[in-house]
Amino acid sequence: MNLKEKLEILADSAKYDASCSSSGSTRNDKGLGNVAYSGICHSFANDGRCISLLKILMTNACIFDCKYCINRKSNSVKRAIFTPEEICEITINFYKRNYIEGLFLSSGIIKNPDYTMSKIIETIYLLRNKYHFAGYIHAKAIPGASDYLIKKLGKLVDRMSANIELPRDDSLKLLAPDKKPDKISSIMQTVKDNRSRNFAPAGQSTQMIIGASKETDLEILSKSESLYNRYSLKRVFYSAYIPVNKDKLLPSIEIPPLVRENRLYQADWLLRFYGYKVDNLLEEKNPNFNILLDPKADWALRHFEEFPKEINKSSYYDLLKVPGIGPKSAKKIISSRKVFKIEFNDLKKMSISLKRAKYFITCNGKFYINMGLFQKKFVESSLLLETKKDVSNNKEQLRLTYE
Amino acid sequence: MSNIYLYNGDYSSLLNLIIELLKQKINPDNIKNCDYEPNLLEQIVNLKLDNKNNLKILNKMPKIILKSIYYVYLSNNENKELLIFEFLKYAFKYKEDVFRYRNIDSINEVIKIIKYVGSEAHKLKGFLRFKQVKNFYYAVIEPTNNVISILATHFKKRLSEELWIIYDKKRNIYALYDLKKVIYLKESEFKSLNLDLDENEKNIEELWKTFFKTISIKERKNLKCQMNFMPKKYWKNMLEMEDRI
Repeated sequence: MNLKEKLEILADSAKYDASCSSSGSTRNDKGLGNVAYSGICHSFANDGRCISLLKILMTNACIFDCKYCINRKSNSVKRAIFTPEEICEITINFYKRNYIEGLFLSSGIIKNPDYTMSKIIETIYLLRNKYHFAGYIHAKAIPGASDYLIKKLGKLVDRMSANIELPRDDSLKLLAPDKKPDKISSIMQTVKDNRSRNFAPAGQSTQMIIGASKETDLEILSKSESLYNRYSLKRVFYSAYIPVNKDKLLPSIEIPPLVRENRLYQADWLLRFYGYKVDNLLEEKNPNFNILLDPKADWALRHFEEFPKEINKSSYYDLLKVPGIGPKSAKKIISSRKVFKIEFNDLKKMSISLKRAKYFITCNGKFYINMGLFQKKFVESSLLLETKKDVSNNKEQLRLTYE
Repeated sequence: MSNIYLYNGDYSSLLNLIIELLKQKINPDNIKNCDYEPNLLEQIVNLKLDNKNNLKILNKMPKIILKSIYYVYLSNNENKELLIFEFLKYAFKYKEDVFRYRNIDSINEVIKIIKYVGSEAHKLKGFLRFKQVKNFYYAVIEPTNNVISILATHFKKRLSEELWIIYDKKRNIYALYDLKKVIYLKESEFKSLNLDLDENEKNIEELWKTFFKTISIKERKNLKCQMNFMPKKYWKNMLEMEDRI
């Protein structure tokens, strides 16, 4: 098998991992290349996802039999394996031509977790020490690998991740019988305890598959919240389930639940940057997001009595509650209102979108819309219309690079 | 008649002129590069400049403001000189607080331009493609704004042990890195450039195109979204998009 065929197989089987972020690292080593704190997207694939790293598996051979995974041992797919030298050569050649920010290396499990982990470490050690590669490296930690190997890997990479795959332990047991939840959390604990400038400086992330098992959005998001709190994860990625295998334990769907995935990302943002808690967004009797509205607009409609917010007076976190106003806009508003009284016209000048915000704010006591229309029913139907337009314009793909 | 003030073509002569105008409290109708041809209603005014002291005045200016006016200078905005003049006038008065005054049109305009230039430079840090030719790496760009110096600074840090040349085809400028520093040259200053590809280059390019195709998930195909993030104007210098133009 030539290198091109190998790359085809091993990129194809790595593509379902959503993470491609190259941001957040501050390492400053000598050698070929460097890291950019903001992360850099080098291209965008035909699915609209950012390409920042050479995302490949070391091998797609695997001793595990996870139901949802294309590489499970019971599937008859073409298998390939890269040698460490081959991975280094491709990485360096791509990097010098500015195709990529670095490497994302994962692998199927061969022989046993320790053996697989050692092979990954060998590759990255070579890349760092023989090729003196100082660019970004994200590596997967293999669940079940010994702690000392996890620690060894941490010193070589910018980011490490172990995928939680499914939010509930019983789902994992059902669909990924070889994966043990406690093995995944022990990796997260090790990374958390050791993280420093020289140990996974860009932190750790994880991924959950959405729609392969029966969890509600509430269960998924509660899991994320607890992961953020317990292990200080940088990111939880959500990956809409794509039916690559037929199995009676898997749902039979044709189209991946992309809108649901997007709602979860939006809510995830609300947890990390907007000061929301899962409890604010969902509850037991209403455990799933509204597919027709983004979670913040949905929240705002359910708490209509909290509005309107006055642009010239509201606190930072109150401004963030306004649909259409994010951290950047809120900061602009707060910065400018110290020196002048902001009118609607000024918001437009500052490129703050009023499309959704106009229903929820006043500027110096004045409404943008006719005050008689400041009613939940009217606002709700207007927002639904806007969202429908966005969805049909295909604008709701995700940019996965920025933290 | 409106009064047009001319500068010598380079950045420091523009700043020098602007400081002089500010010192003498002159409000120019426009400021233009020396190759500007005035129309019938315009007259050129020459100003004697204080080469020694004018630029020193800027030393006291916060770094973020100096960076901002440099970005405006790199932009393709037709009135950039006048905008820098206006912005500096306010910057002397408000210092860093100048960025808060989004209600003043010239300041607001400048902030938008900074963002525009910065974002194009950031995009090209990713989208620029080098090819290995015989002795060095070579890239062609055609940016809307004149961002080659920002890119050269970036790649000087990143590829510090490689010889490389970035060519801005639109402006006919080469940025050439010789392992120590970056020099900028016009086409006429080159003898000739041998751009024959290294023998292995086609193979590596083929690998990249394979990776690019393979990594996309077909069930999620979204070309509109791809184009939003990666505007079409950059495609012609991006290897993986060649067959889409």
